[in-house]
Amino acid sequence: MEARRKERIDRGIKVRSEGIYVVSSLKEMLYVAGPRVFLIAGLLLLPLVLEMAPYWKRVVNIMCVYGMLAISFDFLANIVGLVCLGGAMFIGVGGYMTAIFNVYLHCPVYLAIPLAGLAGASICTLLLLPCLSLRGVYFAIVTLMYPLLFTRIIEALNILGGTNGITGLDSFPNPYLENYVIIILLLVFVFGLRRLVDEDIGLVLRGIKDNDQSVKASGINVAHMKALAVFIASFIGCLGGAYLAHLYMWAGLSLFALDFSIIPIAAVTIGGGGSMLGALIGTFILVPLSEFLRFFGTFRIVIYCLILTGFIVFKSEGLLTYFARKYDQFERWAKI
Amino acid sequence: MLEAKELMVFYENMLALNNVSITAETGSVIGIFGSNSAGKSTLMYTLSGIMLDIKKKEAMRGGERITLFGSLTFEGRDISNLPPHARAKAGIVLCPERRRIFPESSVLENLKIGSYLTSVRERKNNLEYVLCVFPRLHEFLSRQGGFLSGGEQQMLAIGRALMANPKVLLLDEPLLGLSPVYQKIVIKAIKEIRKTRGIAIIISEQYSRPVIPIIDRGYIIENGSSVLEGTKEELMDNPDVKSAYFGIE
Repeated sequence: MEARRKERIDRGIKVRSEGIYVVSSLKEMLYVAGPRVFLIAGLLLLPLVLEMAPYWKRVVNIMCVYGMLAISFDFLANIVGLVCLGGAMFIGVGGYMTAIFNVYLHCPVYLAIPLAGLAGASICTLLLLPCLSLRGVYFAIVTLMYPLLFTRIIEALNILGGTNGITGLDSFPNPYLENYVIIILLLVFVFGLRRLVDEDIGLVLRGIKDNDQSVKASGINVAHMKALAVFIASFIGCLGGAYLAHLYMWAGLSLFALDFSIIPIAAVTIGGGGSMLGALIGTFILVPLSEFLRFFGTFRIVIYCLILTGFIVFKSEGLLTYFARKYDQFERWAKI
Repeated sequence: MLEAKELMVFYENMLALNNVSITAETGSVIGIFGSNSAGKSTLMYTLSGIMLDIKKKEAMRGGERITLFGSLTFEGRDISNLPPHARAKAGIVLCPERRRIFPESSVLENLKIGSYLTSVRERKNNLEYVLCVFPRLHEFLSRQGGFLSGGEQQMLAIGRALMANPKVLLLDEPLLGLSPVYQKIVIKAIKEIRKTRGIAIIISEQYSRPVIPIIDRGYIIENGSSVLEGTKEELMDNPDVKSAYFGIE
């Protein structure tokens, strides 16, 4: 019988570079650090490379904001198991908060953004607190409703600038600061979240996703942990929103746009969930792609949707999962 | 009737089933015995085709790659690549491990789902038959499946499989977590089904003492390979088997 099957084997270098022995050789250290260094250096160099193209520098900024939303979505959906469509809510609340701090209370930018992050995250967490026991689609719908609610309230009561929004926010002192603030925030949160997920608290959060009854049986307050996770995720989202408001020097109703909820999901789908880096790769593909497609005019959305569907149907495991496997393992035919 | 030849299943690089061949004739009861991780569930999944489904899902998710080898014939037809729903339609029906009933549907609805493919008249006959095999199901026909006890759920699961008019009934650990009283009820029911329906029944079990009296032929699986096969008497006479699997000194 001539039966063959393809087997996957870990590369030697992967096995050698596990654990502390990685420090024994430069090659192995490069193998482990390579992808990370590539990501960090690439992102940091991006504004310098795009020196001649200020438009694309702007795209990078917006891409990083979407990246923040995508990692916060990935964290909530694939680690904690709360499908949260609240990207628009985080961005909007963060944006309006920084406008209040900056315009009404005259805080400088570097104080307004972190304050807006904390205040916005507290508001979002408080608002989502009653819905934390909901699961799956119910939680998603609630988080989708809040941005709509906020826009209508602001419109109807004509508060916070009404339909015109709040104008006159301080901009960043120079364009490099504008780029690097968001890039460094993004990198800190990506690697921070990845570390968090591997810590004890991350174990508990993943446990909640798998089986919250067993987590309760271990004497852990599930509601408390979920609230903490929502606070972390909304803090990241609100910081992105605050940054965006200062970038536009304006906080208005369009900060509650549905795009902020939908694009992160698409990004996580393309990149592969559960690793934060996959979410990042997804946004780095999707956002520039949608800019490129502007050349096609109204045909843009069609092409965009086709590409998205293609990814979901043919590579539903996610790009990062695929590339990580190719990086760590090789395949060969084996006789049986 | 159902013939499996040289089945091999790999979970990534782990060999879960190694060269297992099994035949089940009409009207016979086949026992498959082995401890945890022997490959019983893998075998049941492979026979019922669920393995193809798991394989597809894992491939989409980027998880473990599952490779299947070997041939499966049913009534002279090659069914190696037939998806699970088509196999069920052809008459190979699995009653899965841990019962997997629909917890939010009532008992009657659970049974009706099982007979989705059959005609109205057959459904009525089958329902009567199931209630005849498990008279206790009468009492809670309108109750929600998820609130039944483990034993009652097992009766329901077997009943649901029977509703699909099986020619080969695969029972994956039907005695799992049952009290001796319920074990007796299930064993009695299997005997009854065999007597009245004359279909092939394949039972996988770890604790074979209650099952051994009702089987015709048995296979013992260890680490994925079938180490011993024979009639009830042959298995019973083997001294190693006696102490290891049947708990008889």
